[in-house]
Amino acid sequence: MTDLLSVENLAFYNRNRKQGWFKAPTDFELGPVSFTLKAGETLAIVGGNSSGKSFLAKLLVGLESPQSGQILLNGEPLTKANQRQRCLNVRMIFQNSNESLNPGITLGSILDEPLRLNTDLSPAQRLVKIEQTLVQVGLMPEHQFFYRHMLSDGQRQRVALARALILNPQVLVADEPFAALDPSVRSQIVNLLMKIQRELGLGFIFISHNLGIVRHVSDKIIVMRRGQIIETGKTEVIFTWPKEEYTQKLVHSHQALINRQNT
Amino acid sequence: MNLLDIKNLTLEIDVAGQWVKALDKVNLVIFEGQIHALVGESGSGKSLIVKAIVGALPQRWRITADRMTWRGQNLLTMSASARRDLIRNDISVIFQNPKGSLDPLLTLGEQLKEIIPDSSCEAKWFWPSRSEKQRLAIELLHRVGIKDHDLCMRSYPHQISNDVCQKFMIAMALASEPKLIIADDPTRGMEITAKSQILKLLTRVNQVRKLSILFVSHDLLAISSMAHYMTVLYCGQSVESGNMLQLKKRALHPYTQALLDSAPSFRKDLPPKSTLSSLDGTIPTLQHLPTGCRLGPRCPRARRECVVVPAVRRVHEHYYSCHFPLHWDKI
Repeated sequence: MTDLLSVENLAFYNRNRKQGWFKAPTDFELGPVSFTLKAGETLAIVGGNSSGKSFLAKLLVGLESPQSGQILLNGEPLTKANQRQRCLNVRMIFQNSNESLNPGITLGSILDEPLRLNTDLSPAQRLVKIEQTLVQVGLMPEHQFFYRHMLSDGQRQRVALARALILNPQVLVADEPFAALDPSVRSQIVNLLMKIQRELGLGFIFISHNLGIVRHVSDKIIVMRRGQIIETGKTEVIFTWPKEEYTQKLVHSHQALINRQNT
Repeated sequence: MNLLDIKNLTLEIDVAGQWVKALDKVNLVIFEGQIHALVGESGSGKSLIVKAIVGALPQRWRITADRMTWRGQNLLTMSASARRDLIRNDISVIFQNPKGSLDPLLTLGEQLKEIIPDSSCEAKWFWPSRSEKQRLAIELLHRVGIKDHDLCMRSYPHQISNDVCQKFMIAMALASEPKLIIADDPTRGMEITAKSQILKLLTRVNQVRKLSILFVSHDLLAISSMAHYMTVLYCGQSVESGNMLQLKKRALHPYTQALLDSAPSFRKDLPPKSTLSSLDGTIPTLQHLPTGCRLGPRCPRARRECVVVPAVRRVHEHYYSCHFPLHWDKI
């Protein structure tokens, strides 16, 4: 089986000029990063603050362009020339679902936008598609007339998910999709994502702090630190035999929290 | 001895012309040297309880309570200035959003030195007391694990990272040597290593100085590793409270059970990628609260009797309010 998404030596660096006489120049470097993702697989990216996790997600969906390296989708490189293919196949759920939805327009128009820009469907077909997708994520077709402020957190997250799913993508990139949610709502969304993945065979890349959920959901893990991948592997392997010092620290502090429960 | 004793605290808010009970008969007792966890989802009134304790609620909201005492002194009938003195000396609060609750126009050092009470310095004159305050401030920062004190004291809140800011808030809370620290979601949005550092710090403070901590959060994993006693809130009603271990072993209220089940880390036997158990629906808004037990519409065990508010019942030290508790046969 060929890989759904493969990333080869993706690198980005940003050198700031000296801002003051005594200030050191601030560099931001990412990569080179390489990994692969198969269909139906979940890849989790964990790491500390400012380790470049979110930036990697932005590179994947094309919000930022890398200095070197390439991203292959089904063996074909994604470039500026086939922007539309990327828009259709790689979709993103943003960190803060609350602020990523436009408060001024209805949810129907929010979901209509990607369809209008990326497909050739007629308005009637688009409407059908919107209703289908809303039902798919567990909302009602009537929700298309609602505005953002009329929904609860969990429902907003569902709309963000609907917006990502509406173009039938092959890869879904989610940046902290569960961080802002309460525990009982969170497990609903986790279940929903896993159900959709089973049904549609999506490749799923997600970024999270919550190691409990990472362990539960993901097949592979990438540990990042200061813009570099320091360890990759199967979830169970990383959680049982972490190699690098930083990974050990992460896993141990997570285990310590759990083990203290049982004493 | 119990420090804080709250019985039947009710808070009514005026929503579009009618009074809504945002908190409905909440009981809370905090003993000396105890870590008390207050768990609930957003909108369950956790922060309202915190604000009611320190008296930071707007005047026009109605607060009633059968009893609200701090070491035997009634907080509700106390004059405003007396209450303020008491809270200044004995209670400190770590607020939810550390950057939002610091003054953006002053450096952190100035803010920390301002909060150190005069009574804790020995020197009475201006210059000596100023240098002593500086020394005390540095000591505080070291105690919470900020090593680079000079940089921290010189910078403004926007210049330092979130977890250092959080540690700084804890340093500020420790400055007046209080009896009770109220930590309102201190680990929100933190990565796991920083989180466990903060939790260790709070646990150590509790053990070394016999401080009581009221730990408010919805992160059950963090809470249950350190707390002795837990109160679970749902939509302003306290659904269950009891000893941490007992509650985890045998939760009586369906909501507590749902919260415990929602964290995959609690269950070792759970196969990866299996469906997590969860309650249907979401938390109702204040305008549309259901009558009776507020969990009613979402509860898997709800029956007709649940439209009546369940009374608080008690098994040993375990309080719950549910008509049809779980694990009833095992008690």
